[in-house]
Amino acid sequence: MTDHKVRQRHGIQVMEPPDSVQNAPILDEKKTIGQTKTNTKKRIVSNSALAILTLLSFITRFWKIDHPHQVVFDEVHFGKFASYYLKRTYYFDVHPPLAKLMLAGIGLFLGYDGHFEFDNIGDDYITNDVPYIGLRSLPAALGALLVPLTYMIMVESGYPIITAILAAGLVLFDNALICQTRLILLDSMLVFFMLCTFYCYIRFYKYRLREFSNEWWVWMIASGVTLGLTLSVKLVGLFTVLTIGIAVIVDLWNLLDIKRGLTMEHFKKHFYARVIGLIIVPILVYLFWFYLHFAILNTSGPGDSFMSPAFQETLQGNVMSLESLEIRFNDTITLKHKSTSVFLHSHFERYPLRYNDGRISSQGQQVTGYKFEDTNNYWLIKPAKIFIDPSRPEDDFVKHGDYILLEHINTESHLLTHDVASPLMPTNQEFTTMPKDDDSRYNETVFQVLIDDGDSDTKWKTKSSYIRLIHFDTKVALWTHDKLLPEWAFKQQEINGNKNNVEKSNIWIADQIVGKNVTKPLTPEPPKRRLPFFAKFFELQRLMLSHNSGLTKPHPYSSTPVNWPFLVRGISFWTNNDDKEQIYLLGNPFTWWISVGAMAVLVGVLSADLISRRRAIHPISEPVRNRLLNSGLFFFMAWFIHYAPFYLMGRSLFLHHYLPALICSYMVAAVVFNFMFVDSVNYPISVTGPRKAPRIVAKAVVRDITVISCTILLTISACVFYYFSPLTYGTPGIEPAGIRNRMWLDSWDLHFQPKRHDA
Amino acid sequence: MPLGTGDIRNRKPRYKSYDTHLYGLDENLKEKKSYRSLIGLSTTDAYNLIGLTIIAVFVRLYQINYPTSVVFDEVHFGGFAAKYLKGKFFMDVHPPLAKLLITFAGVLGGFDGTFTFKEIGMDYIEPKVPYVIMRLVSGILGVLVIPIAYLTIKLAGFSTIAAFLVSSLVMFENGLITQSRLILLDSPLVAFTAFTVLMWVKFLNQEKRPFELWWWVWLAMTGVGLGLTVSVKWVGLFTIAFIGLSTISGLWRLLGDLRVTPALFLKHFIARALCLIIIPISLYLFFFVIHFAILPNSGTGDGFMSSEFQQTLRGHGMEDMPLDIAFGSSVAIKHVNTQGGYLHSHLHNYPTGSKQQQITLYPHKDDNNLWIIQNETDPEVPFSETDPIWIHHNDVIRLNHAVTKRRIHSHDVRPPVTDADYQNEVSAYGYDGFPGDANDFWRVEITDYDKSDPESRERLRTLHTKFRLYHVITGCYLYSHKVKLPDWGFEQQEVTCVKNGHYPNTIWYIESNSHPKLPDDAEKVNYRKPGFLKKFLELNKVMWSTNSGLTDSHPYDSRPLSWILLTRGINFWSKEHRQIYLLGNPLIWWSSAFAILIFIIAKTITILREKRGYKDHLDGKKEHFESWSGLIFMGWCLHYLPFFLMSRQLFLHHYFPSLYFAILLIGIIFDLFTHKLSSRYKLIIAIIFLVASVYVFTIFSPIIYGGSWTKTDCQKAKWISTWDFECQTYHDNYEDYLASRNIVVKESDIVVDGSNIVANESNIVVNELNISGNGSNIDVNESNATEISQESTTDHVFKEEPFVEKVGDHDEEEEAEEEAEAEDNEDQDIHDH
Repeated sequence: MTDHKVRQRHGIQVMEPPDSVQNAPILDEKKTIGQTKTNTKKRIVSNSALAILTLLSFITRFWKIDHPHQVVFDEVHFGKFASYYLKRTYYFDVHPPLAKLMLAGIGLFLGYDGHFEFDNIGDDYITNDVPYIGLRSLPAALGALLVPLTYMIMVESGYPIITAILAAGLVLFDNALICQTRLILLDSMLVFFMLCTFYCYIRFYKYRLREFSNEWWVWMIASGVTLGLTLSVKLVGLFTVLTIGIAVIVDLWNLLDIKRGLTMEHFKKHFYARVIGLIIVPILVYLFWFYLHFAILNTSGPGDSFMSPAFQETLQGNVMSLESLEIRFNDTITLKHKSTSVFLHSHFERYPLRYNDGRISSQGQQVTGYKFEDTNNYWLIKPAKIFIDPSRPEDDFVKHGDYILLEHINTESHLLTHDVASPLMPTNQEFTTMPKDDDSRYNETVFQVLIDDGDSDTKWKTKSSYIRLIHFDTKVALWTHDKLLPEWAFKQQEINGNKNNVEKSNIWIADQIVGKNVTKPLTPEPPKRRLPFFAKFFELQRLMLSHNSGLTKPHPYSSTPVNWPFLVRGISFWTNNDDKEQIYLLGNPFTWWISVGAMAVLVGVLSADLISRRRAIHPISEPVRNRLLNSGLFFFMAWFIHYAPFYLMGRSLFLHHYLPALICSYMVAAVVFNFMFVDSVNYPISVTGPRKAPRIVAKAVVRDITVISCTILLTISACVFYYFSPLTYGTPGIEPAGIRNRMWLDSWDLHFQPKRHDA
Repeated sequence: MPLGTGDIRNRKPRYKSYDTHLYGLDENLKEKKSYRSLIGLSTTDAYNLIGLTIIAVFVRLYQINYPTSVVFDEVHFGGFAAKYLKGKFFMDVHPPLAKLLITFAGVLGGFDGTFTFKEIGMDYIEPKVPYVIMRLVSGILGVLVIPIAYLTIKLAGFSTIAAFLVSSLVMFENGLITQSRLILLDSPLVAFTAFTVLMWVKFLNQEKRPFELWWWVWLAMTGVGLGLTVSVKWVGLFTIAFIGLSTISGLWRLLGDLRVTPALFLKHFIARALCLIIIPISLYLFFFVIHFAILPNSGTGDGFMSSEFQQTLRGHGMEDMPLDIAFGSSVAIKHVNTQGGYLHSHLHNYPTGSKQQQITLYPHKDDNNLWIIQNETDPEVPFSETDPIWIHHNDVIRLNHAVTKRRIHSHDVRPPVTDADYQNEVSAYGYDGFPGDANDFWRVEITDYDKSDPESRERLRTLHTKFRLYHVITGCYLYSHKVKLPDWGFEQQEVTCVKNGHYPNTIWYIESNSHPKLPDDAEKVNYRKPGFLKKFLELNKVMWSTNSGLTDSHPYDSRPLSWILLTRGINFWSKEHRQIYLLGNPLIWWSSAFAILIFIIAKTITILREKRGYKDHLDGKKEHFESWSGLIFMGWCLHYLPFFLMSRQLFLHHYFPSLYFAILLIGIIFDLFTHKLSSRYKLIIAIIFLVASVYVFTIFSPIIYGGSWTKTDCQKAKWISTWDFECQTYHDNYEDYLASRNIVVKESDIVVDGSNIVANESNIVVNELNISGNGSNIDVNESNATEISQESTTDHVFKEEPFVEKVGDHDEEEEAEEEAEAEDNEDQDIHDH
């Protein structure tokens, strides 16, 4: 993308001697005008190639799309989410909404009402009357369009038709892409929008000599929009943002160069144009889908409990808004710990004097966490007299910041904590109680109620207020964790005082007021509360990020990034024991492995070039080198950025996370193919600007060997694709012997393998 | 490719007189060539160095004998010295050098290794532990950093004032002082890092005279420094990366110099590889040679190592075992992939599932580990057979527990802990005389064999054959993983039968073997004792996995981002109304962070300006400033940023090597901003800054030296609310300290009693995995319980980097403690649809 850079550094851009472009006809620009005839012919060839590829692509993606008529793998999730949209019930997912909205849109179009829950893999679609073919055809269509998009990207990048056909062909015959895109999953949308972004950005970049022209603006805004769409499908879209971002920074860096001759004013114009087109536009697009998301999901649903009480109150028919009561002084309540769901509990038994590790306790009354309803969970809220404004009535509402005492009803004692180590954690304070008529340690029984997001007017409500109880004397927070006390406390949960009093796990909820009940209205009430869009948006973003990184539960088919490029292992999506059919996500091993090889070659060639240039040897001609550096390195960077960050992620990862990177690696493979088999390159390819500078013009020379090798590569790819296609389409079934033949690597854990000892 | 025909390239290289600046050398230094003989210093510098070092001795070693009890991680590093002296093998996540030095110091002081360093707060005086000399290892190395810092800045071509400033700042950095007064590893680490940097600076100065004597000396010394650093802590790898990157950039420059022929370049390359790779590796290996040499006995670290490794430790010898295994053999079967030990059963039942007898993995030798291999069809016969029948691949066997006469059994019941669909419970089932059922059948599948013993490929042989056991009826494999059973299973490792499980976890081998019919002179076999390299690699692997397994949270751990702002320190020790709390000198600390910031801003601005065609000269010193500040900045980055990628528990003191670089950078930035001023003004500015730093140092000095302080002074010093040194500890005024002196003596008497109790009870199992640290008060508790019932939780002081130590009686079945590394995520590999 930055071909001027090198030339200008050396200051020999125009004077490059012809012999450096070996074997390639160097054409004067005037001569090219005479070439219109050839160009028309070329266009016809190119268009028909495009048409054939697109046709094949649709065929491969749509073949037997009705099979299996059962829920496959993650259709469990994404089908379900589409249903929720149609029912308008609130759900929570770690991915942004766009792709699921698209699926819901198709469902709406097909007249599907969202009644099916997609509960288990293997549930039948036909008996449940789900228009699953329609739902699947959306990802399949977008998946099919990946092939022509790849082709167009390669052509726009200035590669000859044969190279573009190779790149598109590799995408066409990739089993993993087919398998992943013909099901109700998100990756098809993700990769589609990613390629759109690349395409638009390349088109934009080619207008760089006509800065601020209409086309320039159109393609830049288009890149911004597609970038926003990519990001709205999955957060992996951030890698695409990063890829484009780096390309833009390199571009701006070159514009900034004094030798480029731009004034600062001019440069700033460039800078702000990109801020608008490539930062603000994508953000707006991203926000838009969330706006739609919140607008559609207005009813209480399975996602409620993820959200804050304030958020939940905006949903129609939410339990919190229906069942919450305001708490007054002298109410008797039960307190439930939010993350472990135990009640604050106490009983007559006392802590033992000495623990097993030799530490000593206060021998006070035990305070524990208990999972079940019990009268020992009842606590009376009393105002802490000294701290409460005496003018407030006896039964005033308890508000944020109030100081209270908690009296345990059954044992008539006050909750207390003090500077004694708790039974299990020497770092945390022990909780115990003090007889209620004993005022000698009054200060140690005072607690402050802090309501999450509360101010001094916020009332404490059951169910819907998240509170922290902070000890007045020592500032610790009432806390519990899922460690159980030994037999002497009946294996109940330990309660102690947490010195880090702002931790999230300090949150408690008043579960009920003893003796008061809510009368349930029969019709769902309209939401009690409205929240500004941005409050909802940021809350949801935070939750998405934290839950995404929290997805660490091991899955039998999760894998580590280092295995992906080498296709060490696939994912079993679906099996059918009767016909020995299975869908197993596995790439086309041939194309995967040659693309990895190609990337190694690219890195090797570029490093060798770098080192030899350091020794003043210039082995590669300037136009060819520029192309390698610009588009080759761009695709390589795209691969790297869509791949390497996964190494830093702690969450469980799957093979399909590699698919965006895979497409980039296919384009790298085509670039390397071009470098090896095609002499010279088409050059220049950017749209010429108003100020014409004399430039070298070069044309790529496609020889027989190019066509032959491309044909061979694609034929092998097609054969390997065909060989593995039963695993991709889930039909026909394969006998154990066939499975064994297909197990090129031992680590492919296909089903219906022959037993080892049968052999 | 031959070098072209250009005349420049053919010219003979004149590398003795390079006129290009490979690294910008200060002009001054060139002029001073006359007396740059060995160190290249003026007499002023010599006086400065001597003066600074003397002050440093006072600042750093002041009252190094206080406190007279174990502080913080002295528990570990003092403890290791004791173990070295006893020769008992132990496991630590750090390489041995610093611990060896501490041990050596202990030997010089007459330490005999009987003191155990078990608890923070244990008294040193009564057991006559030469703790002062052991602390002096840290102390002296800490003092040496001060002249090293001076020389580094000076020899890099910066002003004397800057050098003086930097070394004084290093001297008065409270955190560095605190670390360098105790038996800890960080002071040696910082010292060796600083030494390496100094040697590298010398080398870079010499770079224009390649292959001369001093060039070689400094290059080799850099290598030595790297070796020492990395042998103290693995953080030294960052130093290696630092020198490595600098070397690569130097080589890249050489590569671009067309007068350097490829042959000459190769020579350069090999010289660096020799000095910067081979020397450090040899040193690192050498310290492990010593490590193994003085730890010949079995000890607390055995359980971490493989059986082969354990064979090399005294007290772990296994008798030679008969090689052949036949039906009727009584065998002990060991799990290959985990250190869980032997397939085991005992007279306790599962409380869940089938409620049949438990099958576990047990790490110690025991009769309950013995299994008799029986024939599938006729269990009665094999004992009376005259010729043993060998067990071949695909033979079906039954395993009868020698003690309880029950057979290993599996069925479609979920295991007690790993309640997954693809897991089946494994139990012991049956009784003497019960013929058993088909669920007792296991098929032997040989997976690996010993190359020297081809027969072990065909049939089971002791040690040589690795095999899996396939449960014939349910189609699963006998499996174990690092999941412990709860108390009812004595925390032994769970054994299950799994379909498609993590392959290595399904592999077993037979360790011991006896057969009634086998003649006494039958072919015997034993573990092959691994050679040094094998042991070395294994130990390093275990260190690595243990290190990354230290993920428990610790009350005083912190994340890297908070280090740079010094938002929190570490409570080291607290007693007698005094405490030691690791906290930096905020002024110096924040100035160093500010220097980093200034560097980044200045660098950005110069790059942008250059791009826009502006020329900056800085009186011709631009290149000099850029190259050195860049180098030091790189050092800071490489010693700091990698911590962001680490998920293990981290502590403030991990920042110290970076802090050293950041303080060096203060000197360079100081020179940069004052390069136009006359040296008098420079001096004034430096002195003002220095006086302020020393003043701040004195404010916080009580928490360095464990000195007396008052509540009010302490509160005043809490500049940031997150600094959690405990002000309640202190008396209200200083007079109280004089008054309480008598009481202090009494208290220490009590402590002596306590430590005796601990020392006598040698059977106590210390499980240090419980990081919440048994506080300093335990020993006191022993003697006076009631007084402590109001025991303050804040008085507890915590140990860093805990890990399991095993002490104990191996005959007890209940005692099965093994450290658990959470590497088990990949273990469950199956699913269902």
